[in-house]
Amino acid sequence: MSAHTHRVAGHRLPRRDGVGKVTGKHVYAADFKLSGMLYGRVLRSTRAHALIKKIDTSRAAAIAGVRGIITSADIPQIRYGTAVRDTTVFATDRALFIGHAIAAVAATSLEIAERALAAIEVEYEDLPPLFDPEEALKSDIRIHPDWETYKALPIISRNRNIAGQARIRVGDAEAAFAKAHKVYEHRFSTALQHPGYTEPRVATADWDANGIVTVWCNTQLPFDTQTTLAEILDLPAARVRVTVPGIGGGFGGKLRIGVEHFAALLARKTARPVKVMSTSEEELTAALPRQASIVLLKTAVDKEGHLLARSGRIIVDCGAYAGSGPGTAAIALQVMAGPYKTGALAFESVAVYTNKVHSGSFRAPAGPMANFAMECQIDMIAKDLGLDPLEMRLRNVVKEGDPGPSGEIHRSVSIEECLRKAADAIGWHDRNPEPGRGKGIACSWWMTTGGSSGVYVKINPDGSATLVSGAVEIGTGAITGAAQILAEELSLDLTDVNVTGVDTQAAPFDYGAQGSRTTFSVGNACLAAAAELRRQMFELAAEQLEAPIEDMKLQDKHVVAGNKSISIAELARISRLAGGGLIAHGTAISPAPAYDPTRVQNHPLPVWNTPSYHAHAVDLSVDQATGKVTINRYVVAQDVGYAINPTYIEGQIEGGVAQGIGQALSEEIVYQDGRVMNANLTDYKMPTAMDVPEIESIIVECRSAAGPYGAKGVGEPPCIEPPAAIGNAIAAATGCWPNSLPMTAEKIAAAMQVQHS
Amino acid sequence: MSFDLHRPATVTEAVDLAQRFAPTARYVAGGTDTVIQINRKKIDPAHLIDVACLPGMSEITETADAFALGALTKYRSIETHPAFRGNLRVLLEAASVVGGHQVRNIATIGGNIVNASPAADFVPPLLALDASLDITGPKGRRSVALRDFIVGPGRTNLSPVEIVTSIRFTKLPARSATAFLKEGRRRAMEISVVCVAACLTLEASTSRCACVRLAIGAASPKAFRPEQAEGYLIGKPAGNESFAEAGRLAAEASSPISDVRASAGYRRGLVAVMVERALTTCLQRIREQNQ
Repeated sequence: MSAHTHRVAGHRLPRRDGVGKVTGKHVYAADFKLSGMLYGRVLRSTRAHALIKKIDTSRAAAIAGVRGIITSADIPQIRYGTAVRDTTVFATDRALFIGHAIAAVAATSLEIAERALAAIEVEYEDLPPLFDPEEALKSDIRIHPDWETYKALPIISRNRNIAGQARIRVGDAEAAFAKAHKVYEHRFSTALQHPGYTEPRVATADWDANGIVTVWCNTQLPFDTQTTLAEILDLPAARVRVTVPGIGGGFGGKLRIGVEHFAALLARKTARPVKVMSTSEEELTAALPRQASIVLLKTAVDKEGHLLARSGRIIVDCGAYAGSGPGTAAIALQVMAGPYKTGALAFESVAVYTNKVHSGSFRAPAGPMANFAMECQIDMIAKDLGLDPLEMRLRNVVKEGDPGPSGEIHRSVSIEECLRKAADAIGWHDRNPEPGRGKGIACSWWMTTGGSSGVYVKINPDGSATLVSGAVEIGTGAITGAAQILAEELSLDLTDVNVTGVDTQAAPFDYGAQGSRTTFSVGNACLAAAAELRRQMFELAAEQLEAPIEDMKLQDKHVVAGNKSISIAELARISRLAGGGLIAHGTAISPAPAYDPTRVQNHPLPVWNTPSYHAHAVDLSVDQATGKVTINRYVVAQDVGYAINPTYIEGQIEGGVAQGIGQALSEEIVYQDGRVMNANLTDYKMPTAMDVPEIESIIVECRSAAGPYGAKGVGEPPCIEPPAAIGNAIAAATGCWPNSLPMTAEKIAAAMQVQHS
Repeated sequence: MSFDLHRPATVTEAVDLAQRFAPTARYVAGGTDTVIQINRKKIDPAHLIDVACLPGMSEITETADAFALGALTKYRSIETHPAFRGNLRVLLEAASVVGGHQVRNIATIGGNIVNASPAADFVPPLLALDASLDITGPKGRRSVALRDFIVGPGRTNLSPVEIVTSIRFTKLPARSATAFLKEGRRRAMEISVVCVAACLTLEASTSRCACVRLAIGAASPKAFRPEQAEGYLIGKPAGNESFAEAGRLAAEASSPISDVRASAGYRRGLVAVMVERALTTCLQRIREQNQ
């Protein structure tokens, strides 16, 4: 089937969950209530690093309305975690950061629960803290004294305060540096950024008479949450049921368990349903933000600006627990290599523990940090060599069939097309239209995360289909994209596809709404389910129509064979009477491409699946006195392989750029002596509608081999390039790069002042 | 958090309630600050006296030579009032950058004043207009100049039982203009890093400054008038050179803090730039009036 013949896929159709969401009818996890429900709150450490000598809950327990209090002493002593099993539900013998959970209370009202928190007495004995990741690398202080006893993925290399260390090595970088025309070394830093979802993390838990706990929550990964909860509760997984009524945004901040465990444990303790929802303060002090990082980058070039070698190190500040830090840090290595041919690479990632909030996998983890360093340095080199930054990129970008950093082969490569289209759209020929105004460009590549998907598809007696997936509709329209593929394959309209909510008890497994994979992978599973349904329907139709299966096709909701036809609805009714109904299980998994394992060490994601390519260009003005940035225009050219629904792809691009503008210019969780100084939405500055210009999206379609109809992952890439593109435009406008995120007006003004003096 | 909510019908009733429940009572109007303070546990009043619906306190009244703004006037009303599109534009400009639309539809200008935040956006414009406040309390009415009313960050000379009922200022003479500038990290829902209000009057037949009132927010414990800068300009030709010097003097007079929003040094630099720019805007506006 080719694109122009598609009736449903490729069209700008309204999403299936849209009406409910814009009319307020849609039930989000935060709306969820049960009768007799208690309210849970969490007591959090006021010390950055301290021994916990005593926790006295007796005064709190005596408060009327308090139904249960739990601390580490009341629960199974389990350590969990994705890469490193270093995490506990509550601080055990020591508090590791300000915000670390110490105890949880369930009470008949939130106010009573809060009063109870205030009545819990905790005796601490302070330990010397570590806040600076570079200091943590050198220090004798151990944030996890028992780190050697923790279980971890075998691939993860750990050492003392290092939660994970990975390398990519290609060729002989040292030799290349020695004979290069020029070598450049720069240091960049990026800040801790909250994912900024609208709905805080929330969970309601209830135990039934059979000892099964149901958790209604807003996780992006219901099956991962189920597994982790089963470990924490010390139960078989089948006795934990996770269901997601609706999710008000996640952006990677709701991948791993947030408050579900507190709700489940409190509900077990009190034998009542318990709801726990994090406050804004908890979101900014104890959620799973994007890690702060330091990137040191060294690059060798020849006279023409060809990249001869790059070496570098990214230090990712994980906070008190590894979280996704080891993986995030390792992924940065592929981002630092970029969509460029480079003779030699010597990259290292280090994920480091500090006494700060543990961090997570915010949209394109490591992408913007590594890209900011890598792409700003390209511009710095171009400036020094007197080259046009676009021209320098075009000289170095990968072409079809070139090897990637892990030795994999780049296929369906579109980076040159993306760069040229973004540059043309922004008016690259005139980079400094007036004083204080400049244009910048940046490009990157990014993976489409693998992982398996399963769907059940049932044909209803009215001829409609029901799609049961274990993937959450996170708000991007991803499940609508999968439904479009299903409708296309079954000759249905999109409105004929009903999508159910996720329930781990009933839905087939899905790796989850993460990694730009939902439409891609669930879509592939839908292709498989549709093929199976066609087989079932054709078999049944062969009996009814007395026609050979080879002659059959689906057309306009009918099985057609020559001049004979029967409706899908009729077949569904016949099957119900005679064959138990039309139902199919479709599955999909994208195998990792071949690569050279000698290049990659201790890397949990050694090679990227179905990469996408993209370029961003921005036109902005900088107030020469105040440093204030005004973005005039912003253009994105993104290769999506095949645009299953262009409207929602544009939505993804616009949203990602908005988050990227926040990271570039304004957002930062500010720590001082281990305490967050802006733990509220007044001083944590996400951009508003007034700060984000209209985003111009150019959809590039260079089909992949693995995606449905050639699609590639879409969701994460748009937030990768904004810091670099904006940084380069600021440099074009002012002559200087503020090498640290966020590039606030104050930092830009300071950089301009240094330049002038 | 729990409190009794009282809805008095008159100012007298409100004052009576405040007296009865002092010191655990607190007035609330738009609630855009009080509710946040309650949520953040900065205050814990047992009684909230809701004055939002008190009659006669939401009007903007124009007389031959003055304006009176009811203390319950919403920012939205200031933003849309035709009287503030001319030489009183400073009011419109400040009102339109407070919070976002939702905040401006409910927050009151009286609340902004009595809250006495050093970064309050509506205080500098009123200081630049030399506004005074009408206050009602148990002992009756009194009037006080705004510049004497705010004494420090979050502190005023209002007793807990008194209510600000209106804000008054006189109209500006011919050859006058005003301007308001605000700098922050984003363009809406933002607390000023520095804000500046300027009111400039030129001599009748020259381009010399006859009267200058400047007011600066978020650069001192309370919004202030840089008197040296104002005095310096009197009789000086209005223009880049004198305005830059006024900016320098205003920056010298400021005493900003370093906090999570900005450093003291950056704030001081902003004061100089913004004072100069606000005055330049005033001058442009006066010239446009005469065209």
